Amino acid sequence: MPHVEVLPNSASVSAPGWTYVVDNGYDPSKVAINPKDRKRAAARPGGARGENELSARQQTAIARRIAELERDNDPKQSIPVPGKGSVPKTQNARRIIQYQRQIKHWLDDEIAQLQQAPPPLPRSAIRAANQQLRKASTLTGVPPMSSEVTPGPLSSGLATPALPLRAEPTSEIDSLLSIERSMPPPLKSAELASLLSAPPLSYVASHVAPPAVGGPPQRQFCDNCGYWGKIKCLKCGARICGLECKDAHEATRCLKWA
Amino acid sequence: MPPKISKKATAAAPVKTLVLDNGAYTLKAGLVAPSGTPSYDDCRVLPNCIARSVRDKCMYTSSELYQCKDFGELAFRRPVEKGFIVNWEAEKAIWEHELLSETAGEGLRCDPKDTNLLLMEKPNCPKELQKNCDEIVFEQFEFSAYYRCVGPTLNAYHPSIPSSLSSLPRECLLIIDTSYSDTTILPIYSGQLIQSAVRRLTVGGKLLTNYLKELASLRHYNMMEETYLLNEIKEAVSFVAPSTQQFSKDLERTWKGRLGDKRTVDSSIVLDYVLPDYEGAIHGYARPHDPLQSRVRRGIQPLQGPREDVLPLGNERFAVPELIFRPTDIGIQEKGLPDAIMDSLSVLPEALKLTMLSNIVVVGGNSLIVGFVERLESELRSLVPTEYLLNVSRADDPIKHSWLGAARFASQPDLMKQVLVQKAEYDERGSTWLAKRFSGGDK
Repeated sequence: MPHVEVLPNSASVSAPGWTYVVDNGYDPSKVAINPKDRKRAAARPGGARGENELSARQQTAIARRIAELERDNDPKQSIPVPGKGSVPKTQNARRIIQYQRQIKHWLDDEIAQLQQAPPPLPRSAIRAANQQLRKASTLTGVPPMSSEVTPGPLSSGLATPALPLRAEPTSEIDSLLSIERSMPPPLKSAELASLLSAPPLSYVASHVAPPAVGGPPQRQFCDNCGYWGKIKCLKCGARICGLECKDAHEATRCLKWA
Repeated sequence: MPPKISKKATAAAPVKTLVLDNGAYTLKAGLVAPSGTPSYDDCRVLPNCIARSVRDKCMYTSSELYQCKDFGELAFRRPVEKGFIVNWEAEKAIWEHELLSETAGEGLRCDPKDTNLLLMEKPNCPKELQKNCDEIVFEQFEFSAYYRCVGPTLNAYHPSIPSSLSSLPRECLLIIDTSYSDTTILPIYSGQLIQSAVRRLTVGGKLLTNYLKELASLRHYNMMEETYLLNEIKEAVSFVAPSTQQFSKDLERTWKGRLGDKRTVDSSIVLDYVLPDYEGAIHGYARPHDPLQSRVRRGIQPLQGPREDVLPLGNERFAVPELIFRPTDIGIQEKGLPDAIMDSLSVLPEALKLTMLSNIVVVGGNSLIVGFVERLESELRSLVPTEYLLNVSRADDPIKHSWLGAARFASQPDLMKQVLVQKAEYDERGSTWLAKRFSGGDK
C-alpha cells in the first residue's frame, strides 16, 4: 500500500490568523496602505522617522547641494578656447582633445569597469608572497637581520626617528622602565613588501569612511543664520534657531513646496 | 634596440626637465637643470583656467588673469576636475600659452622635443584618464622623455636636514595634501606611496569657496556669479577655531539673538568686508564690524561721498573651514580630517604607524588658513596614544612644496634615469605598456 505523507511547505504551515514577519523598519511600499495618522505621526517628536533621520526629500536636497558645492565647471556656461592653437598631430590626439566628457562620466566608467571584471591579483603581489615563502624556508630559525627589518636608507634616518629595532634584552633594568613594553613589534619585511606593492585603490574606494555609528551626533545648524539649529521646521524638517529665522526660512528655503 | 641608444644620447646632453604640478586651481611649473639646486623661486604659479568676463566679453588665458582689472561676474573654465586632467582641449591651450609659445613667461619657455617632462598627478586617477594623458604628452606635445607619478610622493626628496646632500628619500613621511579639489592623506615609505592607505576627503578649497558663496548669497547679496571675489574673501578672513569648544563659544559671540532678546555681536570676530567696485579698487579689504555703518547701509546711501558696499562676516569666518574637520556639518557623510588620518594609518603595521605620526607634513593651499595646523595637531593628539610622538608641521610654502620636492628629484640625473621613458620607447611599445610601467608593474 503506498504511503502518503503531506510534506511541510509554505502553504501547509499558514497559521490561523497571525504570523511572524521580519520587521525591516520603514517600508515605503507599506505607507500607502494605511495612510491615516500620518500627519500627526510626523508632527510628534521623534515621529514617523527618528529624531535625526531625514526625509527622502531632504536627502535629495542635501545630495544635490553637495554636488553643487563640489562642481568644477558650470555646464551652462560654455567658454570657448581662445585662439586657434596647434592642430592635433595624430588621430588619437584629436579624439582625446575633442572629448566633451566631464569627470563624473569617467568615474562612472571606472565603476562600471570594476564591476564587470574584478581586478586580478597583481603580479608583484604574488611575487612578494612567493619571496616571503622562500625566505621563510631558507631562514628558519635565523632572526631577521637589522638591515632586513629596516630596509630604509640609514643616512636619512637622522632626523626621522628610526623604526624600532629589536632591542637587546637588558636584564638589569626594571621591566617597567624598559621601553620595549611601549614599543610596537618590529616591522616584518614581507608585510612591508606586500603593502608597497598593493595596487592603487579606485577613486571611489579611496574616500574616507562615514563617521562611526557610536560617535558624537551630527551638529545641526540654523538654515538661515548658521547658529545652532534648535528648532525643526514643522513643514520640511530643516533646522532653524528662532522665529526671525523661521520667517526668513519659510520665505526662501522651505522645502514644503519644493 | 633603440631605447638603449636614445638613453645614452640623452644622458650625454644636459637636458632640462620641466617639472609640472598640474593642479586644478594653479599650475606649478619650472624648468630644472640636472644637478642643479632648485628653490621656491624657480617655481611659477599660474592659474589653470580660461576665464571670460560676462560683462565685457574679455577672455583671459591662465597668466593673463594677472592683468585682469575687473573680476566681476568672471566665469571660469577649468580643464582639471577633481584633480584630474579631464578637458584636454582647454589644458592644451593653457600649456601652449604658458609653456611653449612666445607668450610663455620668463624662463619657462621650452621646446618639448629636447625637454623631459615630470608630470605630477593626484592619487587614484582613473586609468582611462592616465592613458589619455600619456598619449597627449607623447603624440601631441612630443616631449623627449616623460615620467608621471603621484605628485605629493616626491615630498620625500626634501632633505631631512637642510645641509645634507643625500639623494635618498625620507624613510617615513605622512603627507596631508589639502588642496583645491579635495584633501588627501598619503603615507609614504622611502619615496613609495602606500596605495592601500591613501584616503580622500571631499572637502577642498573649491568646496569651501562655493559654500561661502552660498552662505553670503543667502544671507546678504546674490553673489553666485562672484567666485573670484568670494575666494579672495575666504583667503582674507577665514580661520579655523582652535577647538570644538571654542567653536561653540565663537558661534555664541556672533549670534544676533532672538526676537525680543537682541544681542550685540562681538566685533572682535565679526568683520565688514568692503567689496571692490572694480572702478576705483580691484581688491576689497576687511575691517572691524561697525554696527552703525550697517544700519546706515540699510537706508539710502549718501549721494555725495564714497559709496561702498559692505559684506558683514560673522560665523562664516570659522564655520566654513570647519568643514574640513566636521564634513557632517553640511551632511557630507565622511569623517573629519583627524579621524580620516587615523583611518588611513589603521591599515599600516603598528611600527610604521608610530613613525608616520611623528613625520606629518601638511601641504596645499588650505593649510594657509589661520589655525589649521594647530587644530589638526590638537585633535590628532587626543586620538593618538600618549606615549606616541606626534609631530605635525606645515611646509614653508605649502603651495609650492610638492613642486620643490619634485624639482629636487628631477635635479638628480641618476634618479631620473631610472624612471624616465623615452619617446622612442613609447613609439615602440605603446600606451598600455607605459601605463603599466608607471604603475610599477613592469620594471
